[in-house]
Amino acid sequence: MADSTTDDLEPLFDYRRVQPLNFVCIEDDGSDASPVPSPKRRKIPDTDVVKVDEDVEVIKVVNVEEEDWLAPPPMVSTDAFSKIGEDSTIKELRLRKQELLSFAQSTKNMLLEVEESVKRELSGSLKASLDAVAEQPKNPTSERAKIVISIQNEDECKQFRVYMDDKFERLFSMYADKAKLDLQSLVFSFDGDKISAAATPASLGMEDDDIIEVHVKKR
Amino acid sequence: MSGGIARGRLAEERKAWRKNHPHGFVAKPETLPDGTVNLMVWHCTIPGKAGTDWEGGYFPLTLHFSEDYPSKPPKCKFPQGFFHPNVYPSGTVCLSILNEDSGWRPAITVKQILVGIQDLLDAPNPADPAQTEGYHLFIQDANEYKRRVRQQAKQYPPLV
Repeated sequence: MADSTTDDLEPLFDYRRVQPLNFVCIEDDGSDASPVPSPKRRKIPDTDVVKVDEDVEVIKVVNVEEEDWLAPPPMVSTDAFSKIGEDSTIKELRLRKQELLSFAQSTKNMLLEVEESVKRELSGSLKASLDAVAEQPKNPTSERAKIVISIQNEDECKQFRVYMDDKFERLFSMYADKAKLDLQSLVFSFDGDKISAAATPASLGMEDDDIIEVHVKKR
Repeated sequence: MSGGIARGRLAEERKAWRKNHPHGFVAKPETLPDGTVNLMVWHCTIPGKAGTDWEGGYFPLTLHFSEDYPSKPPKCKFPQGFFHPNVYPSGTVCLSILNEDSGWRPAITVKQILVGIQDLLDAPNPADPAQTEGYHLFIQDANEYKRRVRQQAKQYPPLV
């Protein structure tokens, strides 16, 4: 009889995994003379016996809980208390907490709204006609392929991360700024050929870590 | 079969070159009119070393690799009539590391070849002359030799 019910229950919850640990403590406290968990563990392979044990033990757990956890009731009672008529400080605190929560929420919302409106503005200016659709194509563009390019002069090599489809003029002026050199006096070459400002890494078939050489024109 | 080895090695050499090479040097496999790349012929540029009479010149050099590369070295050619004691009238460079019976080793890279030739420009080897004019001036008329070298450097200005 017991066997059949446990057979049904077994797949729902495997008590063997959970109980032993809990039991050691509880049983010690309650000095409950019940089957010690360790022998049970050893018996695991023998399913029938174990199941019987478990049934008994489950019931015991409930008992123990009711008795041993009599201490906590104060908490339950405060809970009940608050439902009926909380005292003013707690109420105030709770209200304050809610206020803060709602404030945090509203700030979050505001940020989200701003973000979205900026996004909308951007996509709107880019593709005025397709507002809703613009949101989709935006993702691919924000994940434009990037490439690391080294710019080498006589002394050193500096690395820059740029978009594959970004015109070189941007990289060149950035480099001139950093090197504090006049852009007009610089010539950039790739594989011995001058790079035009309108070219892109993609148009020159460049790969990661390719080297661009910079030459300073002598006047 | 050996052609596969040569091309595989050259593809590696090219890859390494793109990521790292000395400033002012160029080395790229030739591109045929139909857009395909011929790994067996490389068009290179060797800059004259700063502080020498060769400075300011960007000298074109062509590397011809055989199917036996890297067992055998590439043939390295400047333009015909290039002025240098160790360059044959045909433009072929005479250098020990480029001689399969002498200093060539399969492990020598394209970069090492080009830097080696750059070194040779300002440090000719009078024990191994390859042309009369350059050799004689180098031995007999240092001033005229110097003038000719500087003149030649001006003939090959930077391409960019």
